[in-house]
Amino acid sequence: MKNNNTKLTIILGILCFLLMAAASWYTVAYNDSRLLSPINLAEYTFRTQDLPMLISTVLFILYFFYLFLLLIREIIANKRTERTAQDARHLDPRLGCFGFLGFLGFIGFRTYITDREIFPFVFFLFFGFFGFFYEGKMSDTFMDERYRENELRAQAKANQIASSIILLACVIVGQGKLMGNLEYTLIAFLIVVVLSIALDLFLSKYLLYRYDHGSQFDESED
Amino acid sequence: MPGFECRLKKYRQLKEMTQEQLASQVGVRRETIMRLEKAQYNPSLKLAIDISRAVEVPIEELFIFK
Repeated sequence: MKNNNTKLTIILGILCFLLMAAASWYTVAYNDSRLLSPINLAEYTFRTQDLPMLISTVLFILYFFYLFLLLIREIIANKRTERTAQDARHLDPRLGCFGFLGFLGFIGFRTYITDREIFPFVFFLFFGFFGFFYEGKMSDTFMDERYRENELRAQAKANQIASSIILLACVIVGQGKLMGNLEYTLIAFLIVVVLSIALDLFLSKYLLYRYDHGSQFDESED
Repeated sequence: MPGFECRLKKYRQLKEMTQEQLASQVGVRRETIMRLEKAQYNPSLKLAIDISRAVEVPIEELFIFK
């Protein structure tokens, strides 16, 4: 993204935030906190005083939509440059530490007991970030044909292992309820799927590193 | 790699080229040349042709599949 575009995006974000803050203050001060406190939409009737809050909400939504479009555009642009790039992308191996965020997934057990909320299990996906450690070690490597071949081989192997685990989980979980509880079964399946995707992310980088540096041989010039 | 023999090292040394020089001439990494010389990597047709041109040796003399 160009610098001007970044500035514009930040300024628009700040404007939206300020507008929302001003509208919230107005609603609290002069409109009985309407649209701020929970309401039943079925019983909602429009009042002119609601306009600031409505406008700021619409602008906020539009801003998020704009951010989403920017993200999609960046992803497409990155894919294009990746295809034509000569060197592997530059990455700090320390980013692999983000893999520890995967432990946040264990919060899911707590939230399931207290609120019946299973979303935090998805955080297990962050275990896949451990792969950044190996990707970082391969930073700026010239991508010759052997590198690209190894990359495809590693990706294929990682996909094969992850999909085998998911398939196995489908077969096992499909046999019936886990501990006689359908909910437990579905949670177990969710955890297995998320961990498999994380494993896929990690293995594709780890195996690429292994294939590239793999078998021991004398690396000295002869 | 079974059934694959590579005589690149011999011809490269005859041409008095280093692995680094050959690698940059054919557009690969030095590690790839090392793997090739140890017959641990099966090159693409394009790379095999590029190498045979770089060391000026026929391709069938460089890479032998038994």
